[in-house]
Amino acid sequence: MAPLSTLGNGEVGVVQEITGGYGFISRISATGFTPDIEVTMVRNWKRGPVIVFLRDTQLALGRGEASKIMVRRKEI
Amino acid sequence: MSTQVLETKQKIYTIALAGQPNTGKSTIFNRLTGANQHVGNWPGKTVEKKEGAYKYDGGSYKIVDLPGTYSLTANSLEEIITRDFIIKEEPDVVVVVVDASQLEGDKEIIEVMKDSLGQVKWNTVERITGENGSGALIVADSRYKWIQKILTSAVKRPDREKTLAMRSKFDRVATHPIWGKFIALGVIIIALMGAMIIGFPLSMGVMSGLMPMAIGGANTLLASAPAWLNSMFTDGIIVGVGVATAMFVFLMAVFIVIGFLEDVGYMPRLAYVFDRSMHRMGLHGKSFMPFMMSLTCNIAGVLGARVIDSWRQRLITMIMGPIIPCMAMWGVVSFIGILFFGVNAPLIVVALLIVMVFHLFLTSFLLRRFVVKGEQTGLIMDLPPYHKPNFKTIWEYTWTHGKAFLKRGFTLIAVVSFFVWLLSYLPNGNIETSFLASTGKFLNPIGKLMGFDWRLMVALVAAVASKEAALASLAIIYGIGQGASSITGAIFASGIYEHAALGSILTQAITPAAALAFIFAFFFSIPCLGTVGVIYSETKSLKWTVGASAYYTVSSLIAGILAYNVGLLIF
Repeated sequence: MAPLSTLGNGEVGVVQEITGGYGFISRISATGFTPDIEVTMVRNWKRGPVIVFLRDTQLALGRGEASKIMVRRKEI
Repeated sequence: MSTQVLETKQKIYTIALAGQPNTGKSTIFNRLTGANQHVGNWPGKTVEKKEGAYKYDGGSYKIVDLPGTYSLTANSLEEIITRDFIIKEEPDVVVVVVDASQLEGDKEIIEVMKDSLGQVKWNTVERITGENGSGALIVADSRYKWIQKILTSAVKRPDREKTLAMRSKFDRVATHPIWGKFIALGVIIIALMGAMIIGFPLSMGVMSGLMPMAIGGANTLLASAPAWLNSMFTDGIIVGVGVATAMFVFLMAVFIVIGFLEDVGYMPRLAYVFDRSMHRMGLHGKSFMPFMMSLTCNIAGVLGARVIDSWRQRLITMIMGPIIPCMAMWGVVSFIGILFFGVNAPLIVVALLIVMVFHLFLTSFLLRRFVVKGEQTGLIMDLPPYHKPNFKTIWEYTWTHGKAFLKRGFTLIAVVSFFVWLLSYLPNGNIETSFLASTGKFLNPIGKLMGFDWRLMVALVAAVASKEAALASLAIIYGIGQGASSITGAIFASGIYEHAALGSILTQAITPAAALAFIFAFFFSIPCLGTVGVIYSETKSLKWTVGASAYYTVSSLIAGILAYNVGLLIF
């Protein structure tokens, strides 16, 4: 398991766990982040926010937010 | 566009329209209700409430257009209102309007599921989520599974890889940490220029076209009336309304341009590109655009903060925005700067900007440390696909924001301009002995700390009405504004005083150190009262409005006093 923020461009991760307070989990799950969902990393520049693609939607996430989402790398 | 209707209870009386923003709720609402609608605000909130009624087949129906929301969790003001309405008002029917092209992202459908499960089953769900730490996730997960099941059987969709590729062509550059910033700066410059190209002719049309006509007309009408009555209309009322109108048309131009950027989908990219820079100030990317809008007019910046979903961050952004100088300020700064410092004037501008950045950091720190405590929320933002501009939505954006200015800002600017006239006219029609002059003399002890005489202090006070008034009031008080009996009148009558004449008098009357102090005190002074009014109508809090105003005033005086002492060392 690794934080979503460590995925490289084009890598796909499967969400395992979302850490953080209730407010964060409520906000992040409303955007479609749930366990077992596949997330594609679209933009990750090693610093600053990242862009991910999931459930038909492109989302920008702050680096702090992305590091609270634990994923399992999926081999393509 | 498709709709999902779900019936609850026995008979239909109230229908609520729910759904994400821009899915066509309002279109359906307008079609059903026609002209028979009432638009107001939700009690105590700044969110618009639209209600309407229509008759069909002998029955009467009340329709409520709920604010656009992405879910029913209490993550934003809109969501709280929508949730409370559905729970407390118990509408007979909730119609969820969804965009057929973005079905899976629509959380409203799942919320409806809550109703369809029935109270007993829902209680069970709530009990399970209560016992489980990540309950919110499990619920969200099952909701999405449910949506997915419906979608796979009902909708045919383009290949997933294809949609990803389609979106990334321009976006690859626009979201690049370096090139993205270049594109962003280009877009901002074009946007600000666009706003000025549209806005300047409009507001100049009001200032030098309509105003002199109105003033001339009033002069003819009131030719035989007492002088005070004539002055009240021409210098007080007409000028006050004129300034406010000129500001209004300029603001509308700003909002059209910003609404365009918002509508084509570029705005979230801007927030993304500058997220990291804003983090240094304890904010996230969404605060960037309001700050840019503040460069044109602080009112636009305060209203533009509506894009921020977290109230805490929106509040901080609204308080910080007015520290950024609006366009009206640069005219005054450059006039006095070039007059006193000549070729060194750009250095003054650099110094101002450095102090401004420091001021922004300090203010953000003070606010977060002592006033609005709480967890810093980071960026979680939809990056929608780009699409062709829809001029109806752009107009809607423009008008919603313009209306917010009309409600409070417009009246306040008009009324305050009138009061400045009143203070400068009473008690005997001579500004040198007026109440305004007395105010300046009363504040003289403070002015002394910055090397001011009472005249400069009056200019600073008059600038509270509008920033343009500062130069005009100097011209009047130093006796160059022949023909104009009031400060407000001189704003329009640009031909009345010679800049050269004002310049030579000012250089004789003021020391360079005092001029430097004036520039700094003016640059960081309380924003015009139009901005203060909009801060009030957006926060609905007198405490915040007064507190922020006091803060701006104190920091302006500190900046002025410091600048004066630094000036004394240099000159």
